[in-house]
Amino acid sequence: MAEAVATTPLPRPRHVGMSPIAWLAAPALLLFVIFFVLPFGTMALFSFLSGNPVANPNVTFTLRHYERFLSDSLYFESLVATLRIGFVTTLVSLLIGYPLAHWMARMHSRVGHAMLLMAVIAPMLTGIVVRTFAWMTLLQDSGVINTTLVSLGWTDGPVRLMYNEFGTVVALVHIYVPYMVLTLTGVIGRIDERLEQAARNLGANRFRAFIEVTLPLSLPGILAGSLLVFALSISAYVTPFLMGGTDVLTLPMLIYQQVGSSFNLGFAGALGVILLAVSLLVVFAYNHVLGRFAGGEKMA
Amino acid sequence: MSASARRRPDPVRIAYLAVNGAIVFFLIAPILIVGVFAVNPTPYISFPPTGFSLRWFEKFFTSPDFMNSLWLSLRVAVAVLVLSVLIGAMCALALVRGNLPGSRFLTAFFMSPLMLPAILTGLALFQLYLLSGVGRPVWGLVMGHTLVAVPYVLRTTLAVLHNFDRRVEEAAAILGASPIRVFFEVTLPLIRPGVIAGGIFAFIVSFDQFPISLFLVLPNSETLPVVLFNYMKFDLDGAIAAASMVSIVMALSVVIILEKLIGLKAYVKL
Repeated sequence: MAEAVATTPLPRPRHVGMSPIAWLAAPALLLFVIFFVLPFGTMALFSFLSGNPVANPNVTFTLRHYERFLSDSLYFESLVATLRIGFVTTLVSLLIGYPLAHWMARMHSRVGHAMLLMAVIAPMLTGIVVRTFAWMTLLQDSGVINTTLVSLGWTDGPVRLMYNEFGTVVALVHIYVPYMVLTLTGVIGRIDERLEQAARNLGANRFRAFIEVTLPLSLPGILAGSLLVFALSISAYVTPFLMGGTDVLTLPMLIYQQVGSSFNLGFAGALGVILLAVSLLVVFAYNHVLGRFAGGEKMA
Repeated sequence: MSASARRRPDPVRIAYLAVNGAIVFFLIAPILIVGVFAVNPTPYISFPPTGFSLRWFEKFFTSPDFMNSLWLSLRVAVAVLVLSVLIGAMCALALVRGNLPGSRFLTAFFMSPLMLPAILTGLALFQLYLLSGVGRPVWGLVMGHTLVAVPYVLRTTLAVLHNFDRRVEEAAAILGASPIRVFFEVTLPLIRPGVIAGGIFAFIVSFDQFPISLFLVLPNSETLPVVLFNYMKFDLDGAIAAASMVSIVMALSVVIILEKLIGLKAYVKL
């Protein structure tokens, strides 16, 4: 699949002659060819093979893994569920990420800004397994929220907050909202504050000045942050697995199931290619947005 | 500026701060609650806490399963740090200084492991290793982690290189320093904070890495996140909370070191 990337026509700059320093990229290139391009090629290859060529010499090329995906509605539904969870997670992340990013971008106190950044980056650097565990202790039937609700007498019994899509989305939002905040705060920070000030001097109230000046100018950040969070949340495995219970079946869960329990590498490969196709679309859109609005070196 | 200098109770401003306070609480509270469960002595996760005990930390630090996996995770993370710093920093220099054709495209390519599903990187490496018959060696795991760690080193090093005043190097060269001496005495010290920051990111990314490890570890020789995940499928007790504290304390110290080192702001700019 990464080959598809490599064949994209390059914008040819005027050739100025490579410096010997260019050779320093060789180890990285080697690493990426062997451990990135080659594996993804292998995955695509497996998706067209009838079996495992190592164990069975009589494998043939087949489309049956893709046909299986199309013929059973269970698989299509899991693709839809993956996209739905990704979409809702992105939307909620945007809604709660925007105010925080705005606050951070407009924070004049150096200490305040550093504190906020720590509050955003510290959760981001805590492992996904750990953060999912934290949400399990909060949302399970005997968890913090349900115990509190029952002891306050607000509900008779525990409310089902996890082992469904709701719990999955809540934990995913917590895990990926820092990416939204960091992307947005960079873009909002580059918007000249005086523009909003000018709008207000001309008679717009604060709300209208925000809607008509800051919000449209931050659109590239909104797009880039949303695409990033979407790309990350459709590939999540741990959180839907632990928070979704039997109610949630996403594509990544299905993929690991095929390897871990069914050992069907061909079908796993086909599911992988499908998920990869969705992700590549998102990545291209993301690079396009950033390349167009923020200049070349701000990519990814 | 004049508007924010006027300090009078303003309902819009209060609502704005309240909303943001709630969001910060949403970000931080789940991390803090883990600390409560790590010292709560009850056998299962229960709230409110009933006391204070270090039994879960004791269970974690005396369990051979947890300790072996912690040790493996740390060794892998150190190897990933070294490899990705070397590969990433060199690559950043080449991208900025090498006059490479299509360097914009190359940068996007080297960053792409961050956006493509890591679970697919895991699956793809697993299939490649299977096909080529190398099995599931630890170096295979290290290379998988390095692949997703290099973009972080690249990003922080590119950030310092873009802010770099090349006239300093020219001055050194004019004063008679050889290119190699210029590199070691001028360039390297100036890009060092970015490289170190990238290395710290690489370490933590590897230490916390889950989806790639899931495919590449052998049973009985799993990294800490995989062991925690498998444990959590069946049992949710304070040992997980204690183990989680290791990850959280590490993340907090990293954030503080990074802030002191290059300022977290440099990270946001990209």
